[in-house]
Amino acid sequence: MMQAIELRDVRKTFGANVAVDNLSLAVPRGTVCGVIGPSGAGKTTCIRMIMSILFPDSGSVSVLGRASALEAKDQIGYLPEERGVYRKMRVGAFLTYLAQLKGVSREVAAARVPALLEQVGLRGTERTACDELSKGMLQRVQFVGATLHEPELLILDEPFSGLDPVSVRLLREQMRTAHARGATILLSTHIMAYAEELCDHVFMIHEGRKVLDQPMEGLKRQFDPRTLVFEPLHPRADVAAIRAMPDVERVEEQGAGYVITLVAGADPSLALARIAALVPPARIEIGRLRLEDVFVRIVAGGGGLDEAAAALRSRLQAGAVEEARA
Amino acid sequence: MTSPKKVALVAGREFMAAVTNKGFLIGLLIMPAVFAVIFALMPRLMTASSAPVSGDVAIVDPTGRVAPALRSAIGPEAIRARRERVFDRAVNTVAGPGGTAAMRGGPSPASFLGTPPDFRLVERPAPADLAAEKRGLTAPPAGGRRRLALLVISADAIAPPAGRGYGSYDLFIPPNTDERIERELRDGLREAIVSARLAARQLDPRDIERITAVATGPSITVGDVERQTSTGFNRSVPFVFVGLLVFGVMIGAQTLMTSTVEEKSSRVIEVLLSAVSPLELMAGKILGQMAVSLLVLALYIGIGVLMLSSFAMLGLLDPWLIVYLLIFFLITYFLFASVFGAIGAAVNEMREAQALVTPVMLVLMVPWLLAAPVARDPNTTMAVALSFIPPVNTLAMMIRMASTSPPPLWQVWLSIAVGLAAACAATWAAAKVFRVGLLMYGKPPNFATLVRWARQA
Repeated sequence: MMQAIELRDVRKTFGANVAVDNLSLAVPRGTVCGVIGPSGAGKTTCIRMIMSILFPDSGSVSVLGRASALEAKDQIGYLPEERGVYRKMRVGAFLTYLAQLKGVSREVAAARVPALLEQVGLRGTERTACDELSKGMLQRVQFVGATLHEPELLILDEPFSGLDPVSVRLLREQMRTAHARGATILLSTHIMAYAEELCDHVFMIHEGRKVLDQPMEGLKRQFDPRTLVFEPLHPRADVAAIRAMPDVERVEEQGAGYVITLVAGADPSLALARIAALVPPARIEIGRLRLEDVFVRIVAGGGGLDEAAAALRSRLQAGAVEEARA
Repeated sequence: MTSPKKVALVAGREFMAAVTNKGFLIGLLIMPAVFAVIFALMPRLMTASSAPVSGDVAIVDPTGRVAPALRSAIGPEAIRARRERVFDRAVNTVAGPGGTAAMRGGPSPASFLGTPPDFRLVERPAPADLAAEKRGLTAPPAGGRRRLALLVISADAIAPPAGRGYGSYDLFIPPNTDERIERELRDGLREAIVSARLAARQLDPRDIERITAVATGPSITVGDVERQTSTGFNRSVPFVFVGLLVFGVMIGAQTLMTSTVEEKSSRVIEVLLSAVSPLELMAGKILGQMAVSLLVLALYIGIGVLMLSSFAMLGLLDPWLIVYLLIFFLITYFLFASVFGAIGAAVNEMREAQALVTPVMLVLMVPWLLAAPVARDPNTTMAVALSFIPPVNTLAMMIRMASTSPPPLWQVWLSIAVGLAAACAATWAAAKVFRVGLLMYGKPPNFATLVRWARQA
C-alpha cells in the first residue's frame, strides 16, 4: 500500500537537546494513525517536520509521495497544537482566507463554510468576530479550517486538548466523516484513551525515540491485559476465595471493586463464571487493553509496578488531569 | 516553488486588515487634520496670545527732537504699518513674489498681526534723576498705568560733535518684560531717531524712503518652462520630501512588525505556515504593507499638490522629484520592512521588539539630523559619501535631489544601485531570520542571535 507519510531515520536537535532521534515510521493511506506519548516526548517536533515547518538535521521525510510537505501543502489539513486565529477577523472571512491559501476558490470556500460550521455546532457564526468566541468554539473553528479544503491527509496535533466533552464528541464525529471520505488521519495525543478508540495503528514515542509501532489489533493480541474488573454485590464481601483460585495471579483493590489478574494461559470466560459463582457480582467484565499500561510496560521494561513505571504512569495521568481541569 | 497567488492572498489580507483598522484610519486622517487645525487656529491663537498691552514709556530727551518723532512712531498706526511690512517680507520669502498675491487672498493679515500696544509717551525733563526714574519702573503702577520702559537719549544722538559718530540711547525696562514690547520700542526709536536726523539735515524722510526702496524682483529659473523660484519654498522642499520618505517607510515597516508579532503571539502563525512557506508569508506581508504605505503617500502627495495649486505655486515643484521619491521609497521600504519583519518574527511580544527597533530607528533619524547641512551644501564630501552608504543613502540622496543644486545623474543612479543591492541583501537575510524566528518562543533574541540565525538558516 502506498504510504501517506514516510519518515526515514529522522533526527532533530535543538542545541544540546535531542528532540527526535533516529525515527522511522510509515503511515499507510486511508488509515487513522496515532502518535502517542507523554508531553515532551517529541510528538509536535515530529509533526512539524512532517509539515516542513521544521527541517530534520538528518534523515528524510516524504508526504503523499512528494519529497516534502511543501510540495503537497494544499492536500494536507493541519491542526497545530499551538492554535491561533486572527482575533479581529470574522469567522467566515478567516475560514475562507485559510481555504484560499489552500487553493480553494473563494466562491467554493464561502459556500462550504456555513455547512461545516453547522456540523460542528457553530451555525450562524460566520459574521462573528473570532475574539467573541469561547476557546472550545474557536478550536472547532480551527478544525473546520483544517478540513475545509477536503484534504487527503489530515494531521491533528493534540486535537482534543482543552476541549469540553461536547466539543470532543463533535470533533470525533468530524474525524470519522473525514476518514469515511477517504482521508488519511495522523493524530497526536498524550491522552491514550482517545488513541485506543480512534486509531487503527499507533506509534509510541518516548524521549524522541519510537518505542512501539503496531496496528491496534496486533496490540490487543500482544498486550492482552489478562485482567477482570470485578465489583462485588455486597461491598464487604470476602474475596479470599477468589485469591485462592488457581487461575488467579493476584487481586488488587481499585475504587469500589477489584482488578483480578489471571495467570498466563487462563481462559477469561471460564474464570468469569467461576468468580461470579463464588462471590455474587454487581459488575464483572473482562478488562480492556489500555495503551497507558502498554506504554508503561514497554518503557519501564517489565510490567510490574516498580518505581520507574509508577513515575511514568503519573506523568501520563498528570497530562490527563490537566486536560480534565482545562 | 513560491506561489504568486498565495503571496497576493497574504498581501491582500495584510492590506485590508491595515486599512480597515480604526487606528489606521484615525492616524491617516489625523495628520491632515492637525495641519488644518494649525492653519485655521494659529492666527487666532497668536492674536489671542498677545493680549493688548498698555502703559507709559518715559523718555529723557536732551535733544528735544526725538520725543515728538517717537510719539508718532510708537502710535498704533505706525506700529501696524511696520508689522505689515514685516509680514510682506515673510510672505515674499516663503512664496516668492508670484505667490504673494495668492497667499494674500487667503487669511487676512490683520488677523496675524494682532492689536498694536497702547504706549503713552511721558517726557521727563533732562537732566533727570536717573536713579529715581529707574525706581519708577519697578514701583507699583500709579493711577492704574504701569511704566513699561525708560528711554534715555544721548545728547549727540541727532547732531554729533564734529568728527565723531552719532550718539545712541539707553533703554531701561522692568524685569520680565515681553520681548515684543522691547522690539516695538526699539523699532519705533530707530524710526524716530532716523527721521529726526534727516529733519536736522533738511531731508524729507519720505523722499529717502522712496529712494532707498527697491521692490524684490522674482528669480526665474531658466529652462524649457520658465519657473519663478522661491527661496523659502526651495528650502523646505528637501525636508518635506525626506519627511514623506521616512514617514511612508515607517508606516509600512512598523505595521508589518506589529502584525508579525501579533500573528506570532496569537499563534496563528503555525496554521499559516501549513499553507504558505515562510518566504511567501514574508513576501506577501511586505507587499501588502507596501501598498498601505503607497496609499498614504499618494494621499499626502495629493493633498500637497492640491495645496500648491491653490496657492498658484505648483509650477515650483519638479514632477520628477515625485518619481524619484517613489523609487527611493520602494528601495528604502524594502530594506527597512525586511529588518522590521525579521524583528517581528524573532520576538514574542512588542515590548521585546523595542530593544531591537531602537537602533534601527536611530539610523532612520540620521538623515533628519543631517538634513539641514546636506540641503544647504548638497555637494560636500559628507553629503556625497552619505549618498552611497546604505541604509541612509536613499534618504541623503533624496535631500540632495530636492535641494537647489541637485547631484549629477550618475550619482543618483549609483545611489539607486547601491540601495537596491542593500535592499536585496536585507531581504535575503530577513527571510532566513523570519524562517527560524517564527516558531521560536522563549528568551527574546539580541542582534547577535539574529545574525546567527541568518547564517545558519
